Amino acid sequence: MTSQPNVTIRGPEVPNTPGSLDPVFTVEDLSVFYGDYEAVRNVDMLIGRREITAMIGPSGCGKSTVLRCFNRMNDLIPGAHIKGKILYHDENLYGDHVDPIEVRRRIGMVFQKPNPFPKAIYDNVAYGPRVNGIKRNMDDLVEEALTKAALWDEVKDKLKQNALSLSGGQQQRLCIARAIAVKPEVILMDEPCSALDPIATTKIEDLMQELRQEYTILIVTHNMQQAARVSDRTAFFTADVDSAGVRHGRLVEFDQTTRIFTKPSDKRTEDYITGRFG
Amino acid sequence: MSAPVRAAAPGSPKSLARSRPRYGEQLIKAILLISALVSIATTVGIIVALVEPTIEFFSEVSFGEFFGSTTWGPLFSPPAFGVWPIIVATLEITLIAILVAVPLGLAAAIFLSEYATPRVRKIFKPVLEVLAGVPTVVFGFFALTFVTPVLKDWFPFLGLEAKNALSAGLLVGVMIIPIVASLSEDAMAAVPNGLREGSYALGASKMLTSVRVVVPAAFSGIVAAVILAISRAAGETMIVAIAGGFKSVFTLNPADEMATMAAFIAQAGSGDASVGSIPYKTIFAVGSLLFIMTFFMNYVSARLVQKYREVYE
Repeated sequence: MTSQPNVTIRGPEVPNTPGSLDPVFTVEDLSVFYGDYEAVRNVDMLIGRREITAMIGPSGCGKSTVLRCFNRMNDLIPGAHIKGKILYHDENLYGDHVDPIEVRRRIGMVFQKPNPFPKAIYDNVAYGPRVNGIKRNMDDLVEEALTKAALWDEVKDKLKQNALSLSGGQQQRLCIARAIAVKPEVILMDEPCSALDPIATTKIEDLMQELRQEYTILIVTHNMQQAARVSDRTAFFTADVDSAGVRHGRLVEFDQTTRIFTKPSDKRTEDYITGRFG
Repeated sequence: MSAPVRAAAPGSPKSLARSRPRYGEQLIKAILLISALVSIATTVGIIVALVEPTIEFFSEVSFGEFFGSTTWGPLFSPPAFGVWPIIVATLEITLIAILVAVPLGLAAAIFLSEYATPRVRKIFKPVLEVLAGVPTVVFGFFALTFVTPVLKDWFPFLGLEAKNALSAGLLVGVMIIPIVASLSEDAMAAVPNGLREGSYALGASKMLTSVRVVVPAAFSGIVAAVILAISRAAGETMIVAIAGGFKSVFTLNPADEMATMAAFIAQAGSGDASVGSIPYKTIFAVGSLLFIMTFFMNYVSARLVQKYREVYE
């Protein structure tokens, strides 16, 4: 079962690019540094529009680090910088003229631990539009975002209640609603279900399938079954130890999810998804 | 009890019972309890010490005169016991101080917590805290000999007296900036980073994140800082005695000389008021009133905090 002769072996340098893929992001030879430390090396990826791209791999392989490059969240960490390129459509995300605040408005993010603001549910959703100076009818906008996040029916009678009164799963959907409210094109999700129980996880996964109709989603997950269930494409990362004993994250394989999980072309991917390591 | 199959490892106790009493633990517990009791006992002692002379005072001076008239001069003859002038002076100087300290202190806290690099913070915060260690007598003379002349020079239309509430209030404000800044900064630094990230990820700038997420989340800590600052300002003695003066006139004009409650206590207490005399008892009556005022402010702000705070976690 190890190697099928009819499978093309694709290295990370040559990502699988079927004609149907309409790239929102083009990652070219991306390396991410924290100070002098090269956390992730030489990543090439294409992120398809209105697809769900999963990033999997063992702890410390740099998948979250890469995710946080897409909305320039790493800029907030002193000393963090990148080499290589991320094109958003045709614009260099790290170009001199690019305003990270504008980037983050278009590319939303949902975090590992639900982090609603300690404010009313309504104000959580309205926060993004307000700070972005959107003057539209806020009530409609809030309802729309909460509806899209499959939370409206549960909270419509208690919009003035503190968001922290919600359950963990509801809080995470609120965070998704909050991200949607600023009308992003892309939503980055950094292990969005790792703090949730299985039922809440299922709800978020169902929600992702809904959101896929309108948004491009990138998800980092520790849960391989989740990646297999929800994503169209999967990127498998791992960490190499170089001759000096330093760990560097690396993209091993990037392909359609069905291929990654049925006919991985790299031995390391296969070992990982079959549970032999990591 | 059956014998063990194998001999116990060397050094392991035969039984789980305590092999020797731990006196040290008992001693430490006792020392800690006594330390905690000292501050409570002091507070109780202060209250007890205040109550008796205060009751005696009100047996000689009526409540009506104390709260119903506006001439203050317990040390004059004939004495006058209308307490309002010194209450007004206290509140006015406290207000000026808060108007100085809250904006500057909060701005400093936001800078330190949200903008400063770790290196800058490491230098700035101790420097700020040194300001808290400057003896208030220094602030007092600075107000009297520098700030007042400069204000007179720049704003002659204010008609500042040589001693006035404005300079005193400004310097009391400067004195309490470190309290507001340092405690607020602690409260803001305790706000989970996840909240900041959530805000940045929605396209909020640093300023918006600070003002709309971090400050509200740290609100209860900030209010606690301001309460403490108010209490310190209301009770501040040296600065107001030196730069504010001792003249008790019923006025709202901050350009005038005015005596606060604390200044009166210092003045009367350092004079020759003999134990049991009316001026002596007056000191305690004013002391009680100041105590009640600060206590009341603390209570109100504690309620406000309860009502408006944003609990995270």
